[in-house]
Amino acid sequence: MEKEEESEHHLQRAISAQQVFREKKENMVIPVPEAESNVNYYNRLYKGEFKQPKQFIHIQPFNLDNEQPDYDMDSEDETLLNRLNRKMEIKPLQFEIMIDRLEKASSNQLVTLQEAKLLLNEDDYLIKAVYDYWVRKRKNCRGPSLIPQIKQEKRDGSTNNDPYVAFRRRTEKMQTRKNRKNDEASYEKMLKLRREFSRAITILEMIKRREKTKRELLHLTLEVVEKRYHLGDYGGEILNEVKINRSEKDLYTTPATLHNGNHHKVQECKTKHPHHLSLKEEASDVVRQKKKYPKKPKAEALITSQQSTPETLPVINKSDIKQYDFHSSDEDEFPQVPSPVSEPEEENDPDGPCAFRRRAGCQYYAPRLDQGNHLCENPELADLDKLRYRHCLTTLTVPRRCIGFARRRIGRGGRVIMDRISTEHDPVLKQIDPEMLNSFSSSSQTIDLSPNFSRTNSSSKHCENRLSLSEILSNIRSCRLQCFQPRLLNLQDSDSEECTSRKPGQTVNNKRVSAASVALLSTSKNGISVTGGITEEQFQTHQQQLVQMQRQQLAQLQQKQQSQHSSQQTHPKAQGSSTSDCMSKTLDSASAHFAASAVVSAPVPSRSEVAKEQNTGHNNINGVVQPSGTSKTLYSTNMALSSSPGISAVQLVRTVGHTTTNHLIPALCTSSPQTLPMNNSCLTNAVHLNNVSVVSPVNVHINTRTSAPSPTALKLATVAASMDRVPKVTPSSAISSITRENHEPERLGLNGIAETTVAMEVT
Amino acid sequence: MAEVGEITEGCRLPVLRRNQDNEDEWPLAEILSVKDISGRKLFYVHYIDFNKRLDEWVTHERLDLKKIQFPKKEAKTPTKNGLPGSRPGSPEREVPASAQASGKTLPIPVQITLRFNLPKEREAIPGGEPDQPLSSSSCLQPNHRSTKRKVEVVSPATPVPSETAPASVFPQNGSARRAVAAQPGRKRKSNCLGTDEDSQDSSDGIPSAPRMTGSLVSDRSHDDIVTRMKNIECIELGRHRLKPWYFSPYPQELTTLPVLYLCEFCLKYGRSLKCLQRHLTKCDLRHPPGNEIYRKGTISFFEIDGRKNKSYSQNLCLLAKCFLDHKTLYYDTDPFLFYVMTEYDCKGFHIVGYFSKEKESTEDYNVACILTLPPYQRRGYGKLLIEFSYELSKVEGKTGTPEKPLSDLGLLSYRSYWSQTILEILMGLKSESGERPQITINEISEITSIKKEDVISTLQYLNLINYYKGQYILTLSEDIVDGHERAMLKRLLRIDSKCLHFTPKDWSKRGKW
Repeated sequence: MEKEEESEHHLQRAISAQQVFREKKENMVIPVPEAESNVNYYNRLYKGEFKQPKQFIHIQPFNLDNEQPDYDMDSEDETLLNRLNRKMEIKPLQFEIMIDRLEKASSNQLVTLQEAKLLLNEDDYLIKAVYDYWVRKRKNCRGPSLIPQIKQEKRDGSTNNDPYVAFRRRTEKMQTRKNRKNDEASYEKMLKLRREFSRAITILEMIKRREKTKRELLHLTLEVVEKRYHLGDYGGEILNEVKINRSEKDLYTTPATLHNGNHHKVQECKTKHPHHLSLKEEASDVVRQKKKYPKKPKAEALITSQQSTPETLPVINKSDIKQYDFHSSDEDEFPQVPSPVSEPEEENDPDGPCAFRRRAGCQYYAPRLDQGNHLCENPELADLDKLRYRHCLTTLTVPRRCIGFARRRIGRGGRVIMDRISTEHDPVLKQIDPEMLNSFSSSSQTIDLSPNFSRTNSSSKHCENRLSLSEILSNIRSCRLQCFQPRLLNLQDSDSEECTSRKPGQTVNNKRVSAASVALLSTSKNGISVTGGITEEQFQTHQQQLVQMQRQQLAQLQQKQQSQHSSQQTHPKAQGSSTSDCMSKTLDSASAHFAASAVVSAPVPSRSEVAKEQNTGHNNINGVVQPSGTSKTLYSTNMALSSSPGISAVQLVRTVGHTTTNHLIPALCTSSPQTLPMNNSCLTNAVHLNNVSVVSPVNVHINTRTSAPSPTALKLATVAASMDRVPKVTPSSAISSITRENHEPERLGLNGIAETTVAMEVT
Repeated sequence: MAEVGEITEGCRLPVLRRNQDNEDEWPLAEILSVKDISGRKLFYVHYIDFNKRLDEWVTHERLDLKKIQFPKKEAKTPTKNGLPGSRPGSPEREVPASAQASGKTLPIPVQITLRFNLPKEREAIPGGEPDQPLSSSSCLQPNHRSTKRKVEVVSPATPVPSETAPASVFPQNGSARRAVAAQPGRKRKSNCLGTDEDSQDSSDGIPSAPRMTGSLVSDRSHDDIVTRMKNIECIELGRHRLKPWYFSPYPQELTTLPVLYLCEFCLKYGRSLKCLQRHLTKCDLRHPPGNEIYRKGTISFFEIDGRKNKSYSQNLCLLAKCFLDHKTLYYDTDPFLFYVMTEYDCKGFHIVGYFSKEKESTEDYNVACILTLPPYQRRGYGKLLIEFSYELSKVEGKTGTPEKPLSDLGLLSYRSYWSQTILEILMGLKSESGERPQITINEISEITSIKKEDVISTLQYLNLINYYKGQYILTLSEDIVDGHERAMLKRLLRIDSKCLHFTPKDWSKRGKW
């Protein structure tokens, strides 16, 4: 009641009456309009009776009985109906349904006759009649519809004050505080739920990845075992050989370790631990840290690298699943990359800060002379070390792109870790097309003929260079800038002779090491370094071809090998034993290598013949040294080469032999026992060539790459070339891949060598 | 003397009207609308100081054109605003009001009487309890205190000690009141009746849309000339023909009909008797489409969910709006439950009245709108509805109060119900061991489910609260007791709580109403 209503006459009267008389008098009642209850036709209207049920009436919620039309016929309709009924029978309900449908189908716009026909399932004539009638009536109707309806609100708010609009929707729910609180709580719960689910998803994804990796590892292990079986490597000699090779690589470069590590990394890790006790170990630990932190002095790094490599060697036999790590990118810069190897003198300083003391019960690999030397002796070397540890332009094979400046190192379990550094050139670098780099590098490779010299120069020149933006490419072209790329095969000649001569005590390993170290700067790694990422399929497909090729080559190879064999330094026991054992096999393997090498070379079809030859040489070397990972990648060009591998090989060998007799790699020697001398020579030659070519592109940094990485590079190259290949496969260290890829015999041989070498070291 | 043609909206003039006693009166009325039907002019008049429900169309013969007052040029309240006629403020209105009040031998101004600012407190507070601060809200303080203290009930039945029976306790002679009236200038804001509060608060500020809670509008800022006038001439509902009292938003095209035909059971509206006949062939309802939760004799109550049974709820609201001035149909019926009271006969359960109730009320409302259909009015059904609403509150274990504002009839009904209910309790109190029986306001509230404020206001209205010797006593005078007993004799229709089968739902735990 409103205030003004309080004063209303009748209310006042009634109230006062109540107060005065304590009850209302008849005439004090508030008057209201009259109501009558005299509808006399009521009983006719509401027919029938309704018996009160005994039970309380209970309505079923949403009890949808048959839909009745909302439209109610009026008397006007009745006349129409009567008229229509003369021609046809139509019941009121039927009529109402028709009108009802018409009404509900039309809003402001009336439905058309066609629509009406669709709407009504009646005789056409009836529809027409009713429709016409409806249209007419609708026009006369004052309301919006023949079915009277409460006015609805309009969204534009224009009806907010329309008194005839009723029952508007409540836009806001009435909410008590309690409900609001509930909403908040539930919302938070939902958020939390979401978070947890997403976490679960990531975990599951990681698990999936892990399991996949495991499976991969299993397959690889299986493959290794199979191949070993085929090679008859029951004693594990070949495997060891391979491992040794790999270890050598490790010595020189981290990538090498990686490759080796594919098979044996874990072991390496394990082995390292025992070493901790020794000084070397300490050094190695230090080194490790240094590896992680690029800026640490070379010397330590060198030491570490040396140490680490020896450590790895023993591991080789135990190939762990963990070893199978896949590295999408093989090129690293490596901290570990041995400093320019050329100077063996540096290596061996017994009095050096990190003198090696043997510990009882431990097996040790021979230290790397080159690295040790680097420590502090020569300022130049120091520079080189810097170079070694510095970041350099790096390209990934998969995905194929340039990632800018990065440095490669080996992490736990043999993983290759790329330490990237951000420079102001990054945006520019990202735009660099790896392909361009390739071409450049290849060209650069060809350009650089004198391995050591050119490398060092290039390295010294550009190590520290922070590339000027647009100059990068030009730099690369001119080989001033180093760029790591997977494709490159790094085979380097090492002055094995020098190394060996200087450090007589060192075993084959030493030689290898030296070679590796040489590779770092200018020398090439052993043939071992050759790596090709080979997928199983490829391997299989090519195996047959390889076999044929091998056979063809056999004769030639044997002859040449023998001839060269004499020239080469023969290694002690290992060679002898292994060679004798494996001769036949080695031949095969050699051929396989050859083919593989051919394959490898193929990737760069554009190269000049010389380059090809070199490549092939590489391949050969690689193949010889290790199973030819290259076999995986069969390129048309390769095929061509491989088709006549023997000849090409011979040619290469010859050429090589002419050019580089000096550069016989110790690794080759090691491998030689297995492979024929001819191979060795080929290898050496190839290596030489490779060195030249490869080294140049890589430059100082490349040392690492060239030394150890070369295999990886090969692999990468192959991988890149064969887009099909899965990065996973490639990631396996070059050696491993090689071993895998190559026919077992070779590997076996290698293994054998490795073992022998190991033994040597131990002594 | 003005011509008929000059009569426009806003004019005021006496209009002939026949009162209940069949006597002719010429109350002042305002012309709200003029229409021309076949050459005859009809005038919609609102009798000033009469409720709108008595507004009607009249011919010019009933207009006293000699005393016509034309609307002022600068009408304070434009016609479109819709407030001019019914708002108080013109001096002529207050004169009769005060005269009326004084004529009734009530010594206090009418307004104060309405607000139940009873004199007793004023007398008692300064005298009996000097330490109590006298504040503007002091009228409430005794109430609050009384909830803590026992209030002695002094009834004629219990002999009152001579010293406790001063004249002031029995204020029949009105002398005590006169004392209060001595300071009428001091206006106190009455918190005793929510009605006043509501209307006062709502007068300032014009909301764009009515509040979303409740179903009554307390402000009339949206009143325009359309809603001030009845738009339906007659409604036929079952046996009854009802003359609507107020505007109701039935479809506009139906407002021109002489009679709007409603289905008695589903309340659907039809434009003609033929339509109703046709509808009845399709409508098989013989009772409100809800669950029966109470039945005693022929009286039944049905509970209808405003969300689940929209069409019925809306039809019911449309019908109810014809008789409830302040009811708003602005929003949908979702948050309401409708309790429809029916009377059974062989034709079915005929609707007698209903009340609506919010499913969740933030303000302790147990009734939103309440209506007894006119044909059933003044027969005790209203109080039955009220009683039923309190029975529900008892089941729920809450106290409740009707949503404000109350209509005049609602106020009378509620006040009557409260009075009878409270008196019933007070008179039922037995004295224990010679002591005067004691009861607190809270106890009364708990027993009856009547909200405490309503109990207090009722006690004040009945003039039962007295302050004597440092405590409050309720004194029941003879005439009150007599009047109560007489009233209760006539109140035959009662709710039997045993016949109620009702389980309250906790709507707050449901997402939707």
